[in-house]
Amino acid sequence: MTRVVLQTHALSKKYGSHFALNKVSLTLNQGDIYGLVGRNGAGKTTLFKCIMGLAKPSGGKIIINGEEENLNAVRSQMGFMINPSFFPYLNPKENLEYLCRIKGLTAKNEVSRLLKLVELEGVKKPYKAFSLGMKQRLGIAAALLGSPSLVVLDEPINGLDPQGIIDMRAVIKNVHEQTGATLIISSHILSELDLVATQFGFIEQGVLLQEISHKDLHEQTKNSLHIEVDDVEKTQAALRVLGVRNPLVEGNRIILQSHLDQSHKLARVFVSSGVEVYDLHRKETTLEEYFMRLVGGVQNA
Amino acid sequence: MLNLLHGELYRLLHKRSMYIYFALLAVGYALIVFVRSGGFMPESLVDDAISAFAFLPVVVGGFFFAALYTDDLSAKNLISLVGFGINKTKIVIAKFILVALLNGIVFVIAPVFHGALYALFGQGVSGEALSLLYADVLKLFLMTAAFSALAGILVYGLQRPTIALVAYVLLAFNVVSGLIATLLNMVDPLLKSHLIPGITDNILMGLISGNSFVYPAAEYFVYVALVLVASAFVFTKKEMEF
Repeated sequence: MTRVVLQTHALSKKYGSHFALNKVSLTLNQGDIYGLVGRNGAGKTTLFKCIMGLAKPSGGKIIINGEEENLNAVRSQMGFMINPSFFPYLNPKENLEYLCRIKGLTAKNEVSRLLKLVELEGVKKPYKAFSLGMKQRLGIAAALLGSPSLVVLDEPINGLDPQGIIDMRAVIKNVHEQTGATLIISSHILSELDLVATQFGFIEQGVLLQEISHKDLHEQTKNSLHIEVDDVEKTQAALRVLGVRNPLVEGNRIILQSHLDQSHKLARVFVSSGVEVYDLHRKETTLEEYFMRLVGGVQNA
Repeated sequence: MLNLLHGELYRLLHKRSMYIYFALLAVGYALIVFVRSGGFMPESLVDDAISAFAFLPVVVGGFFFAALYTDDLSAKNLISLVGFGINKTKIVIAKFILVALLNGIVFVIAPVFHGALYALFGQGVSGEALSLLYADVLKLFLMTAAFSALAGILVYGLQRPTIALVAYVLLAFNVVSGLIATLLNMVDPLLKSHLIPGITDNILMGLISGNSFVYPAAEYFVYVALVLVASAFVFTKKEMEF
């Protein structure tokens, strides 16, 4: 049975009259890599701040590992990265050693293990001389100190170059495989999250629009064949010959999820059945299109 | 809380600029005292020390205030501490303990260092002179700790490093207490003895004269305790600034 690691119930955060979060209810199961997708200002960071106790919710509940009252106690066993920042005069090893002491970690090789993981081992220069990518990687290492069972990463690939993004992806996958940690990662780049996440949450204007598994998301965005015809009923009858029952109909358009590579066969059947075909093309809904369709719902509401 | 103290000490001891700063401070101090006393004359030992020590709250207290409080804000480290689930009241208390401890170490060394400079030039330091210096240093230490606690309210309330540091410097230069004392003078001149400089003066007087200083000492501790409670309250109410 899957164990719920993190849950929010109708979590709200209001700044003045503006809802940064509006009744957000999300669920993270153990072992999930939860991709929180939303545009800039959608409420991703605010949600993470509330989870980590850095902002006080205006309403709703947060339950971490079954704990609802003493959240500070469970937060000490979590890892997080929100706008990573460290002491500028300390090198990466010293910054992590500092955090180890703060967290009361005694594991001897913890710091070198993590520095190796994020490829900062042996780096002697102070944090102030770091590139953005190095800062992000150190932020990840800090979030993973003590092998937490739940890790919150806010925009870990923000500002990274293509190689940095690939490296970061590898680090996240590695961590998940090696420790089985549950991760919640925010980004506005859906295609990137798609490569690591097992579960998605779409957030816009503080509202969690949808939670969906990776499998279901791809089910909804897979290729389809769009056929525009003069007579839908006649077309449906013709399609039945090919074994297609109850295709999706939108006006005078029929959408098929099957027979994607058999448009020639379809055309032949349509001609022999006297169906006039105005348009026949294959279409793929990209993840971005899917997201924009969801977001559009909010914008147009 | 011990973990927090441990970590803070670790990062402070790895702050290379601290060693450079105190080395320069020691050299500068020796030069100033040498010039001022006309070559380490025994008759000016106490006066020189008291004049020079008057800057300790600014130069030593200011450094530790910046290192312990405003460095945290600049590095957004308070966010990490709170995110790790550390209770905000514990953070306030731990920071105060550290600022008192570190200032205490330097303030204890200061009279010894001053005496050693004179001893280096063949001038002995009497026990009486040393006692006077320690009494003065205790007063300055108490002022420094109280000013750090007071400016700490701004650290937690505003979370702006520059404002907090400027506030500390103004407190350490007695600008703030001077202004308040001027206002209090118009109401009742005795009231200014209940400001930090007045309270610590009373403690010093008690120490030197051998009279009881229990009342001003109690007043001091209540004052600092209230300031820490106010800091913890402000910090608990305030959301973390990113």
